[in-house]
Amino acid sequence: MPARKSIAAAAAISRRTCLQGAAAALGYGALAYPLRAEAARPLRKQLLLLFLSGGASQFETWDPKPGVKTGGPFRSISTSLPDVQISELLPHASKILHRLTVVRSVNSNIPDHFQGHYALQSGRIVPGYPVLGSAVAKLLEHADDVLPGYLTIRRDGPKAYTDVGDAGFLGAKYEGVRIVNNQPPENLIRPAAVSSALADAVDRIRKSADERFRQGRDDRPIRAYGATFDQAAALMQRREIFDLSKESASDHEQYGKHEFGQHCLLARRLLQAGVTCVKVTHFDWDAHQSNFYWHQVRCAEFDRTLVALLDDLERRGMLEHTLVVISGEMGRTPQINNLGGRDHWGRAWSVAMAGCGVKPGVVYGATNELGTEVKDKPVKLGDLFHTYLRAIGIDSSAKYEIDGQVNPVADPAAKPIADLLA
Amino acid sequence: MHKQIDALVAKRQAELKITPAAVNSDAKFVRRAYLDLTGVIPTVTQARAFLEDAAADKRQKLIDDLLDSPDYALHMARVFDVMLTERRIAAGGASRDVPQATWRAYLAESFAENKPWDMIVHELLASDGTEEKLAGALKFYLVRDVAPHQLARDVGRLFLGVDLQCAQCHNDPRIDEYLQADYFGIYAFLERIKLHPVTPRGAQLAETAESKTTFVSVFTAESGETAPRLPGGPMLADPELEKGKEYIVKPGSKERSVPAYSRRLKLAEQLPRAQTQGFSRNIANRLWALLLGKGLVHPLDLHHANNPPSHPELLAALQHWLVEHNYDIKGFLREVALSDTYQRSSAAPTNAPQEPPDGAFAVAPLRGLSPEQLRWSLLQATGRTELHYTRLEAQASKAEPMPAAAPEPAWKVKAARNEALERQTASLIAAFAGLPGQAEAGFQPVVDQALYLRNSSKFLPLLQADPGTLLARLNSLTDAGPAAEELYLSVLSRKPTADEAAEVGRLLKAAKTSAERGEALQALLWGLLLSAEFRLNH
Repeated sequence: MPARKSIAAAAAISRRTCLQGAAAALGYGALAYPLRAEAARPLRKQLLLLFLSGGASQFETWDPKPGVKTGGPFRSISTSLPDVQISELLPHASKILHRLTVVRSVNSNIPDHFQGHYALQSGRIVPGYPVLGSAVAKLLEHADDVLPGYLTIRRDGPKAYTDVGDAGFLGAKYEGVRIVNNQPPENLIRPAAVSSALADAVDRIRKSADERFRQGRDDRPIRAYGATFDQAAALMQRREIFDLSKESASDHEQYGKHEFGQHCLLARRLLQAGVTCVKVTHFDWDAHQSNFYWHQVRCAEFDRTLVALLDDLERRGMLEHTLVVISGEMGRTPQINNLGGRDHWGRAWSVAMAGCGVKPGVVYGATNELGTEVKDKPVKLGDLFHTYLRAIGIDSSAKYEIDGQVNPVADPAAKPIADLLA
Repeated sequence: MHKQIDALVAKRQAELKITPAAVNSDAKFVRRAYLDLTGVIPTVTQARAFLEDAAADKRQKLIDDLLDSPDYALHMARVFDVMLTERRIAAGGASRDVPQATWRAYLAESFAENKPWDMIVHELLASDGTEEKLAGALKFYLVRDVAPHQLARDVGRLFLGVDLQCAQCHNDPRIDEYLQADYFGIYAFLERIKLHPVTPRGAQLAETAESKTTFVSVFTAESGETAPRLPGGPMLADPELEKGKEYIVKPGSKERSVPAYSRRLKLAEQLPRAQTQGFSRNIANRLWALLLGKGLVHPLDLHHANNPPSHPELLAALQHWLVEHNYDIKGFLREVALSDTYQRSSAAPTNAPQEPPDGAFAVAPLRGLSPEQLRWSLLQATGRTELHYTRLEAQASKAEPMPAAAPEPAWKVKAARNEALERQTASLIAAFAGLPGQAEAGFQPVVDQALYLRNSSKFLPLLQADPGTLLARLNSLTDAGPAAEELYLSVLSRKPTADEAAEVGRLLKAAKTSAERGEALQALLWGLLLSAEFRLNH
C-alpha cells in the first residue's frame, strides 16, 4: 500500500477542486443541465438499473428450457436474433433481442435476498463497498453538479432488503436519494408563511457569515455545507423534474399506467434532467408458490414497459450514453417445488443489458440442458460489475483514495467481459 | 497526563516541521467545551459568565463543572447509544427489543456514576434480560437481532477496534488468515445464543451447550476449526461436563435454556481486560476521537499493520493511563480537555500552508455537530429550552406539593424535563441521522438536510417569536448594538465583530415598521443558525 499521507493529500486536493467548481457554477444553476441540443461538452454517461427484486426466474425469461423436467409449462419463442429463443412471456423483448445483450451464465452462488441485493449491486461479497449507483455517481461526478448523482425509485412497502446500505465508505453524499411511490423528496416547496424576501435575506446572511468564518480555516467542510444549500435551491427550482404531469399522454400510455411503468417514466425524466444514475426496483418476483402464474403477471408488466423505455431512450438519443442493466439479486431454482414455486438460486441464471458501451445482439454463455449448471463461459458477479463500469467508460481497475484508505473500485479478482463490450 | 499529551503531540509536530495553531480564545473554548462535554452550546448567560470571569483557572474550572453536570451523563449516553447501536432497529420490533428510554437510562446512570469502561462492557456482554438493573444493557444484543455473525463483527469493531471482516485489509493474504481465525474465535463465543422472547418482562437470551465452530475462507477456500478465542489469546476449551449435566435449564421447555458452562459469560469475563489485545487501545482511541475529531488510529475500527496509529507513543501512554486509572472515562476526558492540544484554534497560524496536515493535531478540526448536538443547540440558541423549563416550573409550582419521595438523581430529573423537547424535534434527528447500521462518519452534509432547514414545517416553529424566546428578547431591545450582542452570544457563543454588528445595524435600520424589524431579526437568527459556524464544532 502506498504511503498514507500522500494519498490523503491527493484526495483532499481533488475534493477541494471539486467544491470550488461547485461554487463557481452557482450563477447558472438552472443551466447546468442544458437540453441535449444545447450541450456544450460531451454528454455524461449515465446508468439505469432495473432491479428485479425477489429474483426473476431465468427459465421464464432469458433462458427457457421447454420440454425438460425443470422447464415449466411455457414455450419458447423465436426472437429477432436467428437461432435464439427466449420465453414466450417476453413477446415484446423477443422482437428487439438484437438490441439487447444477454448473459445466460451468471454464477453468483448467493441464494439469499439480503446478501444478493448487496453483492449483485456492489460486485462484492465483503461488506462496506458502494453499490453500483453510488459508485457511478461518485466516479462520473462533475465539478458543477447540483443535482444528486443517484436516485432510487421504488414503491412503498417492503423495506427489508430493497435498500441495502448504499454508499458504503463513499459516504452520505453518494447514498441514493429515495423516491418512494414517485413522490419527490420532502420539503421542496418554500412554505407560504416564508416570503421570498425573507428566504433571500436568510441566504445572504448565511453566506456572509460563511465568508467570514472560512478565513484562515480549512474551508472544505464549510464549502461542502454551503453547497447543500445550493443543491437545495437547485432542486426547489427544478422540482418539475419530478412532475410526471409534464409528460405526454402517449408516453404515459406507452410506459404503462401501472406502478412500474410510471416509475420507469420518472426514471427517464430524471436521467434527462442530468441525474447520473437511477435505479428502479420492480417487485414481487420471489415466487416460492405459483411461480408460473406470478411470472405471467410480472413479465407482462415488465416486458412491455422495458421495450417502451428502450424505444423512448433510443428515440431521444439517450441510449447511446445510457447503459440499462436488468438484474435481480439471484435467479430461481430449476427444481419446481410442490407448491408450483421456484426457490432461491444463484448457481446458473441470467442478466441483460442494453445501450451504452455494450455489444447489442450478443447472447453470452450457456447453461446445461436442465439449467442446473453453467456449462459455457461462467460469469461471476464481480465480472458483471467490471463490465457495467467499463461500458460507461470507467476504468474498473482504478482505486478510490478516500480518507487515507485505498480501495479498488471493482474486485481485483474479477474482470470485465471483453466479449460484451462494444 | 495532559502535559504528556502536549509533549508527545509537539514532538511529532517538530518532526513534521509544523507550527501548531494558537490556543483558542475564551469564546471558542466555551462553545467547544460545552458541546464536547455536555452535547449542547452554552446558554447566553453561561457564555457571558465565562467570558466575564477573570479567574486564571477558569478553563479548568469549567471543564470540572461540565463533567459534574447532569448534562454530561445525558450527553455521553447519547454518544454511546449511537456508537454502540449505530441506530439499528431490532428486526422483530418492540417486543424483541428494550425500550430506548430504558437503554438510555442504563447508559446515563453508568456515566453519571462514572462506571469504569471495563465494567460497562462486561455488563453489555453479560446481560441476559433477567436482571432488572441491567435490562437496558441487553440492547447491544437485541438491536443486532442476537445474530452471532453481526455480534462477532461488532464486538471486534466496537470493543477491540478491529473490523475482522474488514474488506480494506485484504491486500495481504497473511492478514486475511489472521483476521479470519480471530473473527471465528469471537464468533465461537457467541454462536450458541439465541433470542428467547416469550416472557412478560421482555426478551431474554437463551444459550445451548453444544456447537463446533468451523469456517471456510472465502478467499482461499481453506477451512479451519476453532474454540472460543480472543485475538492474540489462547483457545478456551469448554470444560468437560458429566453427561446429563450440561444444562441448568434444558432446551425445549418454556424457560430459556441455560447451559452449565456459558461461552457468552466467558466472553463477558475475558474480553474487558487489559490483557485483551486491543481492548484498552480501542477505548483510548475512541475517547480521544470524541474530543479531537479524529482517532490516533483512524478509522476507529481499522487498527491493523497497514494502518498504524499516527502517534504510537501517545496512544500507548493513553491506554496505559486508562489501565492505571481503572478505565476512568471522566478522568480521561478531563485530561484530554485540559491539554493545549485540545484547546487549539481551528484557524491555522497565518504563516502556515493552507492545507492543514493530516492527523498532526496542529489545528483544531472542523467537526459536524451530531444530530443530537444540533437538536439541543438549536433549542438552546432559539431560547426554546429555557422557555420550556420555565413553563414546567410554573406548572410545578401550581401543582399540589407531592409527598416527599427519595430524591431522584439529577440526570433523571433533567431527562424527564427534556422528554417533551425530544418529541417536538424528532423529525430533526430523522433528517440528520445516518442510515441504521452505519457507523457515524465525518461531516457529510446532504441536500435533504438543507431542504429541511429551509422549508420543513416541523422546523419553522423553532423560529417563532413566542414570549420568552431569543427572538422575543431581540424584539424588545431597541438599540442595534445590544441586539447584535444578544444574538451572537446566544447563537454563536461569542460577541459580534465590528463588521457583524454593523451588518445587524444596517438591516435593522432598513426596517421601517416593527413587523419589518421583526422579520429582519428573524432573518438574522435563521441565517446564523444555517451558517457553517453554527453547524460545526470548531
